[in-house]
Amino acid sequence: MTTVSPRLPEKAGIRKIVHYQEEILLENGQAPAVPVVRATVAAVVSNPWVGTGPETDLAPATEQLAPTLARVLTDRLLESLGGAQQVEAFGKAAIVGTAGEIEHAGALIHTPYFGNLVREFLEGSSIICFADDRAEAGQALVVPMWHKTVAATRSHYQTITTRVSDGPRADEIVVVVAASTGPRPHPRIGDRVTDPAVTSTILEGASA
Amino acid sequence: MSTRKIITLVEETVTEGGRPVEPAARVAVVAAIIANPWAGQGFVEDLNPGIEATASEVGALLAARVVDALGAPVEAYGKAAIVGLDGEIEHGSALIHTLKFGDHFRKAASATTLLPAVEKRGPAGVVFDIPLKHITDATIRSHHQSIELRLADAPHPGEIVIALAAAAQGRPQQRLAPLSTEQ
Repeated sequence: MTTVSPRLPEKAGIRKIVHYQEEILLENGQAPAVPVVRATVAAVVSNPWVGTGPETDLAPATEQLAPTLARVLTDRLLESLGGAQQVEAFGKAAIVGTAGEIEHAGALIHTPYFGNLVREFLEGSSIICFADDRAEAGQALVVPMWHKTVAATRSHYQTITTRVSDGPRADEIVVVVAASTGPRPHPRIGDRVTDPAVTSTILEGASA
Repeated sequence: MSTRKIITLVEETVTEGGRPVEPAARVAVVAAIIANPWAGQGFVEDLNPGIEATASEVGALLAARVVDALGAPVEAYGKAAIVGLDGEIEHGSALIHTLKFGDHFRKAASATTLLPAVEKRGPAGVVFDIPLKHITDATIRSHHQSIELRLADAPHPGEIVIALAAAAQGRPQQRLAPLSTEQ
């Protein structure tokens, strides 16, 4: 892992970083066959576009901010999960404060300046699934994750809830990266390779 | 002790009041979501067998983990018991208001004071705040602080969330006069 300056977060306009992690020991009373650790890291940043109109070019600030956010967030994920080789599923999210535009949230997570770097640092190849929202501080957001190299791996479809108690303020954006070291606790709903061919014909004869 | 999940939360405050916090202020919480030892038993008069079976074990688990999660010497600390809707507040208090629980954290943090606490009953997803005070002198005003948590799917009605919180410093930008200046 690249060593970064401890003041990098401040340079990126980050006010606060919240790292949440959960280990599932029991699900429905039984230990998962594969012990899994799931985590989110959320950074609260100033919204660089507050007060600008919808015609504003978002690229310059995105190119400046998003790569540093990707570095800071994934550094903390990798440190706690034990490195990129431990990460099997990933996701991302952003919550823009009420003075911002939903496009501002998208700008920080949906371009290569963020997504490509997160994918590279977590050693994945899939498109990264996401959630975004505009909300008051303290609003929880459910972040979807899927497999980092084979996105359609059904056992790895899962979500994790992220929340910052005092962010985003109206003029801030919360940016999140999520990762999991494995599948859902008891995955048993098949996969594309085992599914029968299902069409609407299965409804024939069903009463309305 | 039946533990469903272990949660770790670490907050780093990089700036506060628009000014840098150097080094970034760190507060960590580790929470265990456990089955309420008295679930489904009606009113249990003597809580001691459940305390004996659970309090020390969960205290040891959380103390080691929260010190590790903080990654710095502990200067302030606190504890929490959040009881699911089918339990009594007394069940949560039973597990955290005993030296069998808190002494693990005091020893790990070289602390001497009582742990400030929150005890509350609520549904899964209830928001709660854990108060923290200085580990050797609870009158040190700079270290009075709290951290807020919300666990998306805990506690279930028959569960209790037990948590320990640790801070590596006082409040970011703390600048209040000490208690002694008013005495």
